[in-house]
Amino acid sequence: MTQENLVILWPAFLTGLLVLATHVPLGRIVLDRGIVFIDLAIAQVAGLGVVAADFFGWDANFWSVQASAVAAALAAAALLMWTERRLPALQEAIIGVLFVFSACVEILLLSSNPHGAEHLKDLLVGQILWVSPGDLLPALVLYIAVLGVWWFGDLRRRQGLFYAVFAVTITASVQLVGVFLVFASLIVPALASRAVEARRPLLCGYAVGIAGYIAGLIGSAVLDLPTGAAVVCTLVLTAAATIAIKR
Amino acid sequence: MKRIMSENPFVLSSGPAKQGRVSKDHCTRRRPPFDTARRFASRLLRANGKFAALLGVVIFGLTPHAARALNVFACEPEWASLVTALGGDNVQVFTATTGRQDPHQIQARPALIARLRQADLAICTGAELEIGWMPVLLRQAANGKVQPGNPGYFAAAEQIALKEKPIRLDRAEGDIHAAGNPHVQTDPRNIQAIAELLTRRLIDVDRANAAVYQQRGAEFQTKWKAAIARWESAAAPLKGVGIVEAHKSWVYLADWLGMRSLAAIEPKPGVPPSSGYLAQLLTEIPARGAKLIVYAAYQDPRPPQFVSEKTGIPAIELPFTVGGTDAAKDVFSLFDDTVGRLLAGLSARP
Repeated sequence: MTQENLVILWPAFLTGLLVLATHVPLGRIVLDRGIVFIDLAIAQVAGLGVVAADFFGWDANFWSVQASAVAAALAAAALLMWTERRLPALQEAIIGVLFVFSACVEILLLSSNPHGAEHLKDLLVGQILWVSPGDLLPALVLYIAVLGVWWFGDLRRRQGLFYAVFAVTITASVQLVGVFLVFASLIVPALASRAVEARRPLLCGYAVGIAGYIAGLIGSAVLDLPTGAAVVCTLVLTAAATIAIKR
Repeated sequence: MKRIMSENPFVLSSGPAKQGRVSKDHCTRRRPPFDTARRFASRLLRANGKFAALLGVVIFGLTPHAARALNVFACEPEWASLVTALGGDNVQVFTATTGRQDPHQIQARPALIARLRQADLAICTGAELEIGWMPVLLRQAANGKVQPGNPGYFAAAEQIALKEKPIRLDRAEGDIHAAGNPHVQTDPRNIQAIAELLTRRLIDVDRANAAVYQQRGAEFQTKWKAAIARWESAAAPLKGVGIVEAHKSWVYLADWLGMRSLAAIEPKPGVPPSSGYLAQLLTEIPARGAKLIVYAAYQDPRPPQFVSEKTGIPAIELPFTVGGTDAAKDVFSLFDDTVGRLLAGLSARP
């Protein structure tokens, strides 16, 4: 009995660990740069890439969809990198405008095409509970590569590398767990470790993230709630409790 | 797992608090690093035990203890109500969606997988209605009994001839289903045919209770035929009435009651109307004699109400399925309420 239900939750938990592994360090850089909404913008532009591919009637198999999503995300990253150099004070506003603009271009492109909407939904609303171990393998390979680049390449200083790595990571993780959970995994642990001025901010971020995921998974099983939204809420509550107790 | 559980008899109350402490513990600033690491490791180990024990409690709670009855997983409430009527105490039914939910898409919850894993029989509309979630759910549940093709999987809409089967499958035509329009439950004659096949299927998967299913099935058929006759005579004034649909969900209902579907507010299924289409709709539908605008309880009421305000044609919310309105408590009251609301809408017309 026990084993049977563990089978339901463990792929989601593993997915959470994988996502946290890359997002906690990247989130700290995002927070330092003051560009917290960048993942929403990049995810939205990746979605735009998919919709555009669909609109122009390019073959809609898995890899071509992925390729156009990554290409669009990289293009957005290049644009944001350029604006950060040219107009650093306006970066946050530009990110917001890019988000709204790409979302609305999608709506216009989709106005005559509900099947594009399905692709877009797949891309933006991943559901952590539907993840199968088979989906995790490509993500695992990618995240290991990302962690390698983060460890050996100085992402804080090398702006271009950071934006490229970030765009590819977000495009992959959004499809696994959805845009809300990606945003929460990226920002909430980093925020908590920053707020309590942790001596080991990375460890603190991981701990908050893991505790939040565990509480959310159990909560969604006990209370029969949608898992993704439950985990976002418990992540925020865990971070809030950590900050309240430590400060 | 059992060993851990017996060591921690009060896990449910102490578990989450302990997990909270793990995280805050190594956010501490002043502790020496080595000590912190050691404490972290031991806390983590303990927390893992708690987690496993908690999971055990969770799992225990999720599992029905009196598992004598046939476990049925119903994708939509109309099939839950039907199988309850046909199976009585011999079936224990879990419903995946509620009457106010769009059955095309739902959020993933652990209970969905847990229930499908335990199911002896899954009843869905099929015909691609649940294509957004049922295939992944079936994969995650990995329950051979209820995989499509096996007796444990019953796709209601696939048992009968569907209407609006597209001649041409093209993305330009909107969110259409290749198999045809799957919203079959709005015609009680479909329910009658499906009930007969479902009775046979219940006998197939639970032979021990064959006699009970046979008897209940026959009783249902008699009662249902009488109810259809009652609804049809009450609904006589609806014959020939022109209706406007919000989403193409009502072809079977219109066909049954002899109503004429003149237009849909969505130009193509799943595509919201443009301003040009809406303007055309507003001038056209009064001229073509539309008397009612119908929409399902789970749908956004604003588009039909907008059209209703501009044209003076009453917009009627219909339950669409069991639980869609408070009055639609089972398959019988579903049609009582549907016919009642349509008639009320017709007489409300100035």
